Amino acid sequence: MFVLNFLMRRLAQGALIIFLVSLLIFTLLRVVPGDPVRLMAGGMAPEALIEKIATDMGLRDPIVVQFGRYIGGVVRGDLGQSFVRPANGAATGGATFNDTTRGERAKVLSLILEALPMTLQLAAVTLVIALVFSGIVGIAGGLAIGRWPDKLAFYISSIFISLPNFWLGIVLALLFSVKLGWLPAIGYRGFAYTILPAIVLAVELSPVLIRTLVSSVSAQMTEPYVAVGHVRGLGRGRIIANHALRNASVPLLNLLGIQFSSLLGGVIIVEYIFDYPGLGLLTINAVLQRDFPLIQGIAIVTSAIFVLINIIVDLVATTMDPRLEY
Amino acid sequence: MTRPLLALRNLTVAAGRAGSAKIILDSVSLSLAPRDIVGVVGASGSGKTVLSKAVVNWLEPPLAKRSGEVLFEGRDIYAMGGADMRSLRQRISYVGANPMGALDPTLPVGVQIVEKMRAVVPGVSRRDAERRVVELLDAVRIPSARNRFHDYPSQFSGGMMQRALIVDALVTNPALLVADNVTQPLDVTVAAQVIRLMKELTTSFNTAVLFVSSSLPVAREACSRILVMDGGRIVEEQSTEDLIDKPVYPYTRELVRQTPRIWGEPAATPPLNDRREVVLSLRDASQIYKVRKKAGFGGVNLVRAVRNVTFDVRRGDSFAIVGESGCGKSTLMRLLCRLELPSSGQILCSDQDIAALKGKGLLAFRGRLQMVLQDPFGSLPPRTSIGKILEDPLRTHRWRDKVRIRERVLKVMGEVGLPAELYEELPLGLSAGQRQRVNVARALVLEPEILIMDETLSALDQAEQFKLIDLFQKLQKEYDLTYIFISHDLAMVRKACNRVAVMYLGEVFELADNERLFFDPGHPYTKALLSAMPTLEQRRYRPEECLLEGEPPSPLDIPDGCSFRSRCPQAMNKCSRVQPSLTVRERQDFAACHLIVPPAASGDTGAAHRTMRRS
Repeated sequence: MFVLNFLMRRLAQGALIIFLVSLLIFTLLRVVPGDPVRLMAGGMAPEALIEKIATDMGLRDPIVVQFGRYIGGVVRGDLGQSFVRPANGAATGGATFNDTTRGERAKVLSLILEALPMTLQLAAVTLVIALVFSGIVGIAGGLAIGRWPDKLAFYISSIFISLPNFWLGIVLALLFSVKLGWLPAIGYRGFAYTILPAIVLAVELSPVLIRTLVSSVSAQMTEPYVAVGHVRGLGRGRIIANHALRNASVPLLNLLGIQFSSLLGGVIIVEYIFDYPGLGLLTINAVLQRDFPLIQGIAIVTSAIFVLINIIVDLVATTMDPRLEY
Repeated sequence: MTRPLLALRNLTVAAGRAGSAKIILDSVSLSLAPRDIVGVVGASGSGKTVLSKAVVNWLEPPLAKRSGEVLFEGRDIYAMGGADMRSLRQRISYVGANPMGALDPTLPVGVQIVEKMRAVVPGVSRRDAERRVVELLDAVRIPSARNRFHDYPSQFSGGMMQRALIVDALVTNPALLVADNVTQPLDVTVAAQVIRLMKELTTSFNTAVLFVSSSLPVAREACSRILVMDGGRIVEEQSTEDLIDKPVYPYTRELVRQTPRIWGEPAATPPLNDRREVVLSLRDASQIYKVRKKAGFGGVNLVRAVRNVTFDVRRGDSFAIVGESGCGKSTLMRLLCRLELPSSGQILCSDQDIAALKGKGLLAFRGRLQMVLQDPFGSLPPRTSIGKILEDPLRTHRWRDKVRIRERVLKVMGEVGLPAELYEELPLGLSAGQRQRVNVARALVLEPEILIMDETLSALDQAEQFKLIDLFQKLQKEYDLTYIFISHDLAMVRKACNRVAVMYLGEVFELADNERLFFDPGHPYTKALLSAMPTLEQRRYRPEECLLEGEPPSPLDIPDGCSFRSRCPQAMNKCSRVQPSLTVRERQDFAACHLIVPPAASGDTGAAHRTMRRS
């Protein structure tokens, strides 16, 4: 009953958030300078033709009308068609204005659905690496506050947070692909291609997780139930595993919700460096080509993912700690 | 003679490193036979809690054992390995003063007790453990134990949690239970039930109890023999009755002397006539809070924190508002101070509705009514000098002349007994009693007419309480002050107040003069409160006759009719249908109970209210 109520309430809120995000993105994209039709038709196209194409595509209608038309499609699961990408996946951009492939421009939804699993895979591998690594370092540090594991955790997180990801990406690619030849780096032709970018992202993600774990585990170890548990006859291992970590994982979980979202944003640079065909690369190209429908589509899908992840995180957190109320 | 269950031999415990160590327990020896119930009393800082921790092998840095031994059935528990000690936890258990923090908040209570049982008793199946836990939860009268088994610690009240922890301690059938101040956080009626239960259970399980308490009357309820600690030593040991009749050691004598008497002494405050000016008057004041429902779709629950409270406070009164936690006394305090406005009804200060005050009028009202808070440590800014703390209210109230401000502050400091040298000092080094004097001075500096004391004395020890009560009485005579004490401590109220309002679930159940309330209470709840009070005297009311098991209902879900009927031994049919209203008993005494027969027999409810306002 609580779960149902929670989901209904939060999903309704989420739908509102997504609507507002798409309205914002839609408006901003249309007030920034740069005419997409000029890009599509090519620099040599006559002005009259550009006006015709624009009117045909409805780009000269008032923004509200355009948005209404667009959101109507979104509700039916249609995110529109890319301005520039052909469905057959060949060249991008239109160099010539007598474009014969207009009818076959790629669907935004299918472009996103191609790229999204790649990014989700990257994000999942990143999370696993980051969680395992920060779990070991952070829990050890939190259980030994003031002693060497705590200091080690501090040094590691300080170093990691000061490494820029584009630099680390290039260095790792140089080391592991070029010099040692252990891992592939550029493009995607199998799972191995995910590992290097995932390591780079995990290094970026770990410091926050380590610091949170150190502080929440050490805070839990000073809670009265730990000392009392000892007197009640529970062993130290049992107190840590069953109780302290359980309590300490609630702040970590909340953090993960936010971090996972920023991970999806943070992949842009890393995917670009490794030429990894995920959502990040798609975003960069869409922005460079003024591909409005694609940018909008990506924004809507990512915000939907953010919303869903945070709903899931909150739901899991309430089952862990019944005192929480969302 | 049987071998003692527990023996301490010259146990010395110190805090801190060798060079600068402070001795906390100084060569303590004691012995406890099986099935003995022995009390340990002493002032705060006398080492009682450290003693109780030392007995269960729970000395954490900076505490460390220096010398001596703790023998449990002849074996020194400090010479044991970790695994041996852990299995010994089956035989030695501990209940502490902080029930709310003792269990992991994210797991159900029952599950954690089962976990403990299975950790210390090898080879118990989960099913057996669960059955035993539910059985014991039933035995400590937790209603519908089978369902409560799956509830989380945050869903238990303090009293329920303390019962659950007693179950947790007794579930392995231990030979020794160490109970460290178990009733300290509980309300008197609940504390009385918990002690009664603990005695019943330990008797039926043949468990010996080391009962540590800061209150002699509480220890007297529970124990047959009492040890007195002072400065880390055991200074006296006698059977309970002898200790109270013939205390030997000076500290014990002082302790017995200072324990307040309720019925043995005449009231310190004679009843005052009822023709004095009314300074503060509540007319049907109610406060309702809205809280969002967790289950269901939207919607709010209404917490009726204060319900239709009507009474007058006259100039020169020491008016007490008493009741247990959750009865609405703090909400009432916030209403009286105009920190909140009532959701209905009025509060009049000298015939003016304080809700209507604004700007200058409000500032003037604040100058007339000041409050003194409960927590002596949290209520003073730590980095502001005492002089500055006391100057601030004057500056807020538009005092500008530095010399006059300083004069006024020094005068008030003198009146409350703070030496003038403290003017430039920070409050850091002050004792709780001195801090409370600073608080009183901060309220008095504006020369108010009314002082609201919200549990002002409850953080202080007995001796300090007496000194402050004397101070209050002196100041009252000097400045014609009116006090409103908000308190749960009936002994303090008996000593300091002339008029008492008893609250339960947001309602005033009884309103009477001191003498009448303590000797002839009109409401069964007042009787229950009096019966549950720990005291050294012969009781006028027996708890077994005055109070049913259970705890106050939630203010979210107040029963129809009389809200006390779920715990009232005299509840009748009528009580579930009709809510009794305050009925006049005599000139100034009122009680809200169907058993009250108004003297003129004509007093319907409306008349009672009218009488009240007129009187």
